[in-house]
Amino acid sequence: MKELALHILDIAQNSIAAKATSIKIEILEDLQLDRLEILIEDNGKGMAEEELVRALDPFYTSRKTRRVGLGLSLFQAAAEQCDGGLVLQSHKGTGTVVKATFKHSHIDRAPLGNITDSLITLIQADPNIDYLYTHQYNDKKIYFDTKEIKNILKEVEITNIEVLVWLREYIDSELKELVK
Amino acid sequence: MHKVNDLIKLLELELIAGEGGLENTISGVYIGDLLSWVMAHLQAGNIWITIQTHVNILAVALLADASCIIIPEYAEIDSQTIEKANYEGIPLLRSKFSAYQLAIKIKELDLII
Repeated sequence: MKELALHILDIAQNSIAAKATSIKIEILEDLQLDRLEILIEDNGKGMAEEELVRALDPFYTSRKTRRVGLGLSLFQAAAEQCDGGLVLQSHKGTGTVVKATFKHSHIDRAPLGNITDSLITLIQADPNIDYLYTHQYNDKKIYFDTKEIKNILKEVEITNIEVLVWLREYIDSELKELVK
Repeated sequence: MHKVNDLIKLLELELIAGEGGLENTISGVYIGDLLSWVMAHLQAGNIWITIQTHVNILAVALLADASCIIIPEYAEIDSQTIEKANYEGIPLLRSKFSAYQLAIKIKELDLII
């Protein structure tokens, strides 16, 4: 994939397929350590040990034997190609954590790309799923929590088109301010 | 010896940025997307065809002294990449054709001596 934002979208879609109601997406950029970390954590149904092994095997593609597609393998390859790696942790019933690390300055590291688009696509998909997004760039940090936003919105749905337009602008401007 | 200008006319390429390098002489073609690999193989004067569109491609093209970059299949190009190509004067071109089709056309037109 050309952008890491697309990997994030793909992995979070696995979480949705796993019936998660709360998904945490965390990005950490540390230029001093030359490190980029992406973490996606959900409270979905999780995977048992043997499912976990298969999840990273690109040749197990049958939807009958596994829920997730090629996404995890591709994400892992992208990270390993940049002197990093991917760690997958999961327990049946409690959820899954995917953590990918990259050497920030690696020439083959894909750009983060359009994070806003990925987040909006996810939020739009199901108003009942909550997202906590945090993004740290050196010592600056932004976060946004759909739970907080829903509290403010009260009976207005977060998937309301005007809300989404506002959210898009809000996330965009926060990100621009962060990576300046 | 053909120039980037000739290439644009003959292949009907879209000039996205880097007008300053239109008089660059072209020699050879390289196709590749893994930047670390391309860095090791791209030669001076090469037409480089890649689907990568982020700003790092300019750094790689500059380093190897490529004559131009062609983005195939109408892939979308980052604005930062366009700015940098203009600044560095490396022609950034785009085509509806795939890398394979472009390579064939370049061969058919006898553009590379």
